[in-house]
Amino acid sequence: MLKRSLLGLVGMVAVAAALATGISSSDAQQPSTGPAPLSAADSAGLKGPRQPIFFRHDIHAGELQMQCQYCHYSVAVSSEPGIPSMQTCMGCHALVAGRDPANQAEIQKLKDAWAAGTPVEWVRIHNVARHVHFPHMRHIKALGDNACATCHGNVARMPQVYQVNNVNNMGFCINCHLERNVTRDCSACHF
Amino acid sequence: MTMRPDDQQMTEAAPDGVGRRQFLKVLGVTGAGAATLSGCSTDRIAKLVPYMVQSEQQVPGVPTTYASTCAECSTGCGLHVTTREARAIKLEGNPAHPVNAGSLCSRGQAGLQALYHPDRIGAPMARNAAGGFDEITWDDAIARLAAQLGTANGRVAAINGYGPSTFSTLLDDMVGALGGRSVRWEAFGREAERTANFRTWGRYELPSHDFAAADYLVSFGADFLETWGATVQQQRGFAEAHGYGNGTMAKHVYVGPRMNLTAANADEWLDVPAGTEIWVALCLARAAAMHHGSPLAAQLAAYTPEAAAERTGIPAERLAHVAEEFAAASAPLAVAGGIAAQHRGAIDLCRATNLANIAAGSIGTTVRFGDGPAAGNDYGTVQELFQSMDRGEVAVILVHEANPLYALPKSGNFAATFAKVGFKVSTANVMDETAAACDLILPNLHALERWDDRAPRPGVLGLMQPVMEPVKPGMHTGDVLLAAARAVGGPLAGFTAQSFEAHLRSAWTAEASRRGAGDAEGFWRDALQRGGVYEPAAPAPAPALSAGAADLAPGDTSFDGDGEFLFLPYPTSQYHDGRGSNKPWLLENPDPVTKITWQSWVELHPETAKRVDVREGEIVEVTSPHGTVRAQVYVYPGIRPDTVGMPLGLGHTAYGRYAADRGVNALDLLGAADGQGFLPYVATRVSLTKTRDYRQVAKTEGTPRQLGRGIIEAMPLAHAAAGMTPKESMTAAGHPPHEVNTERELEAIDGWYEAQKERWNLGNYGADETPKWGMAVDLSRCTGCSACVTACYAENNIATVGEEQVFKGREMSWMRIERYWEGGEDGEPLEARFAPVMCQHCDNAPCEPVCPVYASYHTPDGLNGQVYNRCVGTRYCSNNCPFKVRYYNWLKYNESAWPEPLNLQLNPEVTVRARGVMEKCTFCVQRIRAAQHTARLEDRPLRDGDVVTACQQACPSKAIAFGNVKDPSAEVVRWKRDPRGYTMLEATNVMPAVTYLAKVRAVDPVAHGEAPAAGEAH
Repeated sequence: MLKRSLLGLVGMVAVAAALATGISSSDAQQPSTGPAPLSAADSAGLKGPRQPIFFRHDIHAGELQMQCQYCHYSVAVSSEPGIPSMQTCMGCHALVAGRDPANQAEIQKLKDAWAAGTPVEWVRIHNVARHVHFPHMRHIKALGDNACATCHGNVARMPQVYQVNNVNNMGFCINCHLERNVTRDCSACHF
Repeated sequence: MTMRPDDQQMTEAAPDGVGRRQFLKVLGVTGAGAATLSGCSTDRIAKLVPYMVQSEQQVPGVPTTYASTCAECSTGCGLHVTTREARAIKLEGNPAHPVNAGSLCSRGQAGLQALYHPDRIGAPMARNAAGGFDEITWDDAIARLAAQLGTANGRVAAINGYGPSTFSTLLDDMVGALGGRSVRWEAFGREAERTANFRTWGRYELPSHDFAAADYLVSFGADFLETWGATVQQQRGFAEAHGYGNGTMAKHVYVGPRMNLTAANADEWLDVPAGTEIWVALCLARAAAMHHGSPLAAQLAAYTPEAAAERTGIPAERLAHVAEEFAAASAPLAVAGGIAAQHRGAIDLCRATNLANIAAGSIGTTVRFGDGPAAGNDYGTVQELFQSMDRGEVAVILVHEANPLYALPKSGNFAATFAKVGFKVSTANVMDETAAACDLILPNLHALERWDDRAPRPGVLGLMQPVMEPVKPGMHTGDVLLAAARAVGGPLAGFTAQSFEAHLRSAWTAEASRRGAGDAEGFWRDALQRGGVYEPAAPAPAPALSAGAADLAPGDTSFDGDGEFLFLPYPTSQYHDGRGSNKPWLLENPDPVTKITWQSWVELHPETAKRVDVREGEIVEVTSPHGTVRAQVYVYPGIRPDTVGMPLGLGHTAYGRYAADRGVNALDLLGAADGQGFLPYVATRVSLTKTRDYRQVAKTEGTPRQLGRGIIEAMPLAHAAAGMTPKESMTAAGHPPHEVNTERELEAIDGWYEAQKERWNLGNYGADETPKWGMAVDLSRCTGCSACVTACYAENNIATVGEEQVFKGREMSWMRIERYWEGGEDGEPLEARFAPVMCQHCDNAPCEPVCPVYASYHTPDGLNGQVYNRCVGTRYCSNNCPFKVRYYNWLKYNESAWPEPLNLQLNPEVTVRARGVMEKCTFCVQRIRAAQHTARLEDRPLRDGDVVTACQQACPSKAIAFGNVKDPSAEVVRWKRDPRGYTMLEATNVMPAVTYLAKVRAVDPVAHGEAPAAGEAH
């Protein structure tokens, strides 16, 4: 029974992989003309969970070179990285309508939510268990520039954020801590 | 790819129809090819919901602190409210506030449980025809109120338990404008003292008492560490004076029939029968008058120690000794009052105490007029109001922050009188007894949700601000009244403020200009940040004596009935006048003296219990001429054999799920008649009848005596002043210590400590900079008040387990206050000793080697760590712990302890433990880590004082020091070097990180086996 289901899983993965490679917007190859024009329908074929609005990190953080901390503002001072408020988004998008109909459709969704007073409910990708207290600010301090990509991957090239490393896997944390010779004490994070 | 349990389940189920569907569903969400699954569970998608507009004051993950004022009792302490993501999660004292200077008692801290109480009323309610309540809208409620006020024709009254404040002034003014009367009433109104002060000095007011400056303190019944006066402020002063330091300490003598917490902290307890305290007071006054050559000496000549001995039963030599000490002291202070002294002779007792203070020269020094606490109207005024209600003269009554239908004895039939009022309104936000009898309930916002101010005494004007959106949709009673005023018009037309906040602002603008502050806005902002405006009150000269001040003729105090025993009801620091009884933290925090939780009890002296032939837990009926109650017996050596004691505060019939139908109301035994302006609590005799029923007493104490284990050490003042260690003191007293460890034991443990240290340092990089955390507790300052216990519950998400589980010893308090009795047998006086006991973070922890999964381990920075996610629940660690400071989650306490919205109080920095996990004190490791993060971000090393544990922070006595023992400048290191220092259970060689400084008692040293010399305090 296990073997059959394992084969079944492998089969599913193969199909999925075939689907994925058919779309060229994954991080491996970036067309030299900038982020590819994509629509929300295309997001089904991308890695990572579909979001209520097809927010493009590759446009904002990649092409426009917005700092991570412009939106995730508390990451250097708090355990919580902070998620941008709707007002932060509208700060630009009150004026920026979008470069093509696909983008405009997504931005319109944002404006509609803002007008209705309902926040967009993003699907969370990176999460640690509740018994772990992960201090973001210590890691920003320690890792300096490019700290974010160390764990979250090259988000600036992701049209749709997906998990590069399973941050809920303690081995992932310990490996890095061992390499860099910093604390291995349990009570650094578990309390 | 690692196969997680979820994967396993899914792939195994894949061939089934359900399994495939589920797999495909997940596939659709997580995207094709997502073989690794994020988060904890595959079918639970976590969402990130941003704010619409980010508040400037809030950084997620970083607490925001607001200054406000506590409203849980009349002391009016200043608060620092810690909020996380706009939810209040911890209440601490405001260090700038002169009353509490950064500390906060259990009752104040439990204000959070009032804020998030699951039984808070969420909407205005009106009584319907069937006798129940219907929810109505605020507009409807205000319209109804306005209609009633408008047609009442001046027959309006208010009972207000809160003030003085801008709100209570507004309420008084409005009721006055309508032609009615407003009565400010508190159950413990200190009326007898005020009347006595009027008779002595012509001043119907309360003075302030400078406990910190006193070197000899005598209390006649006044429980200044529990419910009498500004308890937190008094406790601070008491710790300063009575805590040992620089070779000296003040002496504290308590006079009264029962050893309450205040008496348990006394160096001498004169256990006089209730009603006879005045004889001791007059004896002290006489001695002081003679010593200082005061003209009062002649008038007091008759009150010799022998005369007092005859009335009180205390040997004359002892009384003479105390009197001499009092007279010779350079800064004596005598205080009188408290519910336990509120018998029919209370006014004369307070007058006698005034004479003692006058004769001793305390007036103007330790007793000062002009900056004492403001107090409300007296019981007599409330009685008058009730008589007026009885005559049908009151059409509309508003009850605010008071519960007279609970707090007044049933024999007074107040419920029937109250029912005669045409229209009754309550502003309670939990359905208490009075609200349940009202016609309209207008739930007020909680103190943490509303604007107001509070002036507990001259010179202190505390500001109260909302720190979060209301948890339940209440409305500020001030806003309700102003809206009603607009609707009524007419006599209320002058109240034009659009909201109470506007009204408060204009009051403060006026205050600013009164103080000559040019910039009213700046004045307001400063006050908001600091929590108010504080300045020392102008010194008032000692008032002149009234004629006849010394004309006292103490007679026999009268008691109702002819029962065998004197009945002594008393308030406890947790339940207070009943207001604390609906909060689980206060119900589960054991009574500091009896260690009983969640219950009422009947206290009997061991001799009495033997005579009546009852044992602990047997239910007795206590009968007075006014009523009968039944409760289980608690055998207590700290009460006179001729007296029966019961705590006040339980026996609610409403007031929420935790309070209703719990315990018995001791007030049922009291008469309500007054004649002197106060309710005489101690005015009844009772008889006891055995029943055949039994109820286990839910107490947390184990063996009440130390049995020579040396857990709480104490020494007489002379030994401490000579710099003796506890062992030297015991040796000097004739108890040389037995050898701590035998040769064989020492051989067995040789090398063990070094091996331990090596193990801790695995993974410890940067060994030199790594701190080692340690704590010191000064037992000469600790009073056993248990504020630290509540602070720990609040900080560390500790579950309350309820009465049934306490029977089984499963209370979860990481920090407990142990109380042991010494003496009390063979003619030795009874002594109580208190110590806070928490995980000792032993260097040689016996809990560490026995954990099969390394959940209990030693951190490189000296803590005994507990990793919840590793724990599998063998409980071997708790088994091995000699202090029994490890607590196991036997049941799903996390599901029962925090019914919504109590769960909003939980501290996000601390994991909430599930069933099957061991937990214990962590030295507030979350605070340590937070301080380390901050120091790292600021590129500086940790400084002493960066880390303050919750218990240390809350303690009004400042009895706890905590810090890095490797830092030579740290306060904790200084404390640990004190010769009084010792560790508990030394023979186990566990090497705790907690050092206790032995308690010092202001008594003369007595060698073991020697009876105390006649006349000497012991």
